Amino acid sequence: MSVDPSRIRNFSIIAHIDHGKSTLADRFLELTGAVSNRESREQFLDKMDLERERGITIKAQTVRLDYRAKDGELYQLNLIDTPGHVDFNYEVSRSLSACEGAILVVDSTQGVEAQTLANVYLAIEQGLEVIPVLNKVDLPSSDVDGTKQQIEEIIGLDCSEAVSCSGKTGVGVPAILEQIVALVPPPKGDPEGLLRAIIFDSWYDPYRGAMVLVRVVDGKVRRGDKVRFMATQTDYEVTELGTFRPFAQALDELSAGEVGFISGNIRSVHDTKVGDTVTLAAKPATTPLPGFKDVKPMVFAGIFPTESSEYPALRDALDKLHMNDAALSFEPDSSEALGFGYRCGFLGLLHMEIIQERLEREFDLDLITTAPSVVYDVYTTSDERLRVENPAKLPPPQNIERIEEPIVKLSIHVPPEHVGAVLSLCQERRGVQIDMKFLSNNRVIVLYEIPFNEIIFDFHDRLKSITRGYASMDYEVIGYRPNFLVKVDILVNGDSLDALSIIVHRDKAQVRGRSLAEKLREFVPRQQYEVAIQAAIGGKIIARETVRAMRKDVTAKCYGGDISRKRKLLEKQKEGKKRMKQVGSVEIPQEAFLAILKVDG
Amino acid sequence: MRDATVYLHFPWCLEKCPYCDFVSYKVDRPAIAHEAYADAVLAELEARVSTLGDSLASRRFISIFVGGGTPSLWASESLGRVLEALRSRLHFIDDPEVTVECNPSSLSEGHARDLRAIGVNRLSVGVQSLDDEDLKYLGRLHDGAGAMNALRAAQTAGFKRVSGDLIYALPVHSAEASLPMAGQLLDLGLTHVSAYQLTIEPGTRFGELAKRGRLPMADEGTSAEAFLALDSYMEGRGLRHYEVSNFAVPGQESVHNTGYWRGLEYLALGCGAYGFWRMEGPGEPAWGVRYLNEKLPESYMQLARTMRDGTGFTAETTGHSTTASTERLDGETLVKERIMLGLRMADGFHVEASEADLLVPVRTPERQRSADKLEQRGRLCAEGERWLVPKSRWLFVDGTAAELF
Repeated sequence: MSVDPSRIRNFSIIAHIDHGKSTLADRFLELTGAVSNRESREQFLDKMDLERERGITIKAQTVRLDYRAKDGELYQLNLIDTPGHVDFNYEVSRSLSACEGAILVVDSTQGVEAQTLANVYLAIEQGLEVIPVLNKVDLPSSDVDGTKQQIEEIIGLDCSEAVSCSGKTGVGVPAILEQIVALVPPPKGDPEGLLRAIIFDSWYDPYRGAMVLVRVVDGKVRRGDKVRFMATQTDYEVTELGTFRPFAQALDELSAGEVGFISGNIRSVHDTKVGDTVTLAAKPATTPLPGFKDVKPMVFAGIFPTESSEYPALRDALDKLHMNDAALSFEPDSSEALGFGYRCGFLGLLHMEIIQERLEREFDLDLITTAPSVVYDVYTTSDERLRVENPAKLPPPQNIERIEEPIVKLSIHVPPEHVGAVLSLCQERRGVQIDMKFLSNNRVIVLYEIPFNEIIFDFHDRLKSITRGYASMDYEVIGYRPNFLVKVDILVNGDSLDALSIIVHRDKAQVRGRSLAEKLREFVPRQQYEVAIQAAIGGKIIARETVRAMRKDVTAKCYGGDISRKRKLLEKQKEGKKRMKQVGSVEIPQEAFLAILKVDG
Repeated sequence: MRDATVYLHFPWCLEKCPYCDFVSYKVDRPAIAHEAYADAVLAELEARVSTLGDSLASRRFISIFVGGGTPSLWASESLGRVLEALRSRLHFIDDPEVTVECNPSSLSEGHARDLRAIGVNRLSVGVQSLDDEDLKYLGRLHDGAGAMNALRAAQTAGFKRVSGDLIYALPVHSAEASLPMAGQLLDLGLTHVSAYQLTIEPGTRFGELAKRGRLPMADEGTSAEAFLALDSYMEGRGLRHYEVSNFAVPGQESVHNTGYWRGLEYLALGCGAYGFWRMEGPGEPAWGVRYLNEKLPESYMQLARTMRDGTGFTAETTGHSTTASTERLDGETLVKERIMLGLRMADGFHVEASEADLLVPVRTPERQRSADKLEQRGRLCAEGERWLVPKSRWLFVDGTAAELF
C-alpha cells in the first residue's frame, strides 16, 4: 500500500565532522520510537567501525521514521545520511538529489566550516529547502547569536526561526522534527508514471549481492519486477525490496517519493553506479534522471604486500573492496624494490587512508603504501599525450616536451589571527592567491589555486597544526597547467628504489631529495660495507647520505642463561628481516617506506 | 647414554663489578652463610634427583662448573660436601672436569690446595687485566701483581689446568693493548684464556652510565681490530681460537663450556642458576625446559628447604620449588640454539648429528636456501656435515645465525 506523497518528507543532514550529526540522528530515532534507548548504540547510523572511530560517514545510510506531528497526522520521514567528506563530493550530490530538504547542523561553539559550505551550496543549487539548526547549545562556549549571524552573512539563510538544540541533551530536537514537516516540501513526481528511481548508494552484501539504495521519483517498483539500470544497461529481477527503520524491513513495493533498498542477486556494485536511474525493463522510461557521472580516481598510490606470499590475499581483498566501492580502481603493478603489488586509484587522500586501513584491519594484511601521486599529463617530444600516475613510469627527461599537473581551487576557512600562517603555507606550496574575504569578525575565507600535488602529502596536517586545528579546507580540481616538474630518484648503492621516486617542482627537487635521503639513512641497517644513499635527477646526484659500515656483530659471552636471551634477540632480528625488502645487496625495512611517506614537503 | 653437565652458582661477591650482570650480591666475608647455603643446594639436589628419577640413569655427567658470584669465597669444606653429594647421586665419568671460578683477591695457595683436595681440577681466574688503571676502571679489588700472584699460587698448589679471563676493548685502549697481557698469562704457563670484549649490559652500573651517555666507550672499529689482533697473536702462540671468546692449548678446551655450545643438558643448582633439561620420551622429537632459580639468596635457601619431589621443571610448580621461572623449548627452538652456539665454535655446527640427536629436521628448504646464500657471500662454509663460519667472519656471527633461524 503506497503512502500519500503529501505525507512524505525526504531530508538529509549536512554538518561538518564533529558538529554532531550522528548524535542528532540518534535523537530522531529515539523520538520517533524507531530505536528504544536500550538498542541505541551511540551513533546508530555510522555502522562501520572505521566510521565510528573517525566520526565520519563513509557510505550513505537511510532510515525511515514514522512521526506523528502536532497536526495529528502520521508522516513518513526519510532521513538520508550523506558522506561528510570532500572526497565523496559526487556521492553527496546524489544523496542530496534524493531529498527535498536538508538540515544544516552548525556547532554553535565553532561556527561554519569550509566543508559544510560546499555541501550547503550543493543543496541550495539542487533546490533543497535548507533548515539551519544550531547545535551544542548546552556547552558554555555556545554562541547562538553569533553563529546565526554568521550563517546569515556567509550562506544567506534566514535564521530567525532557527532552532537551538543539543543532540546530547535532546533539547530542541522535537522542534526540528516539526520544522521538517512544516518546511520541507513533499516529494513531487508521478506515482502513475514510468518508473524512475535514482541510485544514491550501493554496497555488496555477501548473501544478497549488491544492495541498492534508491529514491523513487516516478512510478513504483514491486518485488518480482524486472528492473534495468539505465547507465550500465543491465537488467535484474528484484528479489527483495524494503526500507530501513533502522533495521531492514521487507516491503512489497516502493512508490514515488519513497526511499528504500532493492536487491536482486546483482553481481557487483559496478552494475549499480551511484547516480544511475533504475527503470522497468518491460516499460523503460525514455530519459534517465539528470546528473549521472562516472567518478574517476584522482590520487594514486602503489600498495604492496610486505611478504610476497600475501600477493594473492591482497588481490582478493581489493576485489572484495572493489565490489563495494565503484570509485576504487586497481591494476597490477610491480616494483623492483617492493615486488608485486597494485597501483590503486582513489577519490582523494581520505579515501586512500580508508582503503589502506580496511585492507590492514579487515583483511589482516601487512602493506607498504608508496607516496601518493596525482595524475600528470605528459606531452612527449613525439607529441603524444601520456597520463602518468606513477612517477616510476615517467619517460626519460629527453623524451618529455612538457608536463602538466592538476590544479585545484582550494578554499580555507580560518580565524584572522592564523591567516598569515595559512598564506605562507600556501605560498610555500606554489599556491596563487585568488581571493581573501572576511566572512565575519572571526572568520576569513582564503581562496587559492594550487597544484594538487602540493596538497596530497601532508598539507592538511600542516594546516591543522599551524592554525591549532581552527582551519578547515575544501578543494576541487579545476584543470591542468604546465610546470617545471622533474622526477627525483632515490638510489641505494647505485640501485634505484623505484617505489620512492617522486615528481616535484624543479625548485624543490634538492630539498625534497635531501630530506628523502636523510630519512632513508635512519632506517637502512648498517651492512658490512658502506652504503651510499643518493637522490638524483636523471644522472645528476643532488644529495648524498652515507650509512657507515658495521665492523662487528658478535656477542662476547654465551653461557647458561645468556642463551635464551640471545636466541630471542636473534629471533626478533630474523622476524624483522622478513619484513625487509632487498634492494640490490641492501635490505631495507618496511618502516623506511612508511616513514618516508610522512616526510615533510 | 647422553652427556650432561652440572652448574652450581654461588651468589656472593666482596664487591659488585660495574659491568657484571650475573646474579651476585655484595657481602662482607664473615656474613657468608657457608653451611646453610651448602645445605640448601643439597636439598635442591635431592628434590631434583628424585623428580628426574629414571631419566638420570641415562645421563653421563662429564663436568661440574662452580660459577658466581665469587665461589672462591665459599669455604672449601662446604663446597666439598656439595661436590661429594653430586658424585654420589649422579653418574659421572672417570675424572670429570671440575672447575671453580676464582677472584685473584680470594685465591691463596692454601685455598687452592684445599680446592684440590675436594676434587677440583681446574680453576678459572678472573684476571680481567694486568694493568692497574684498567682494573680500577673495572672496579676490581686486585691489581696486576695480585692477579699474577694468584695465578702462581694456583700453579704452586698443583693445578695443571688454569684459565685466565681477560676483558678487552676498554675505552682508551689501542687494538693491541691486550696482547702483552695475554702474553704474560701464556708465559706463566696458562693453557686456557677467555678474552671477552667489554659488553655493556642493561641494569649494571656501566649500563646506567651508558644510557645517560656518561660512559666513554671503545670505538667499534678498534674493538673489531682488537678481536682480530688477539686471534692472530694467540694462534701464533699455539693456542686454538676454539670459540669466539676462548683460546686453549689443543686438548685443554673447557669441557663444561663446550657442553653449552654443543647443546648438552646442564643440571643447575643454587641461587640464580640457569639449568636446561630435555623432557622428550624415547624416540620422540626433542623438547626441553630451561629453568631459572630464585635470585634472592634468602628466598632461595628457604624454598630449597621445603622443595618437594616432582617440582622444579614446570611453570605450574613454581613457588613450591627453588625454580622461579621456566621456559619451554620446543625442538625447533633447540635447533636454533644449537646453530647460534655451534657457529661460535671453530668446530662449527654439526647438521646431521643434531638432526639425529634431536629428531628435528635442521636442513629445511628455507634454512638450506639461507645457508646457500650465506655461503655465496662467504659468511658460511659447509664442510661435509658441518656448517661453520670462517674465522674472518666471526665478527658477524650473530647476523649469520639469525639468517639461519
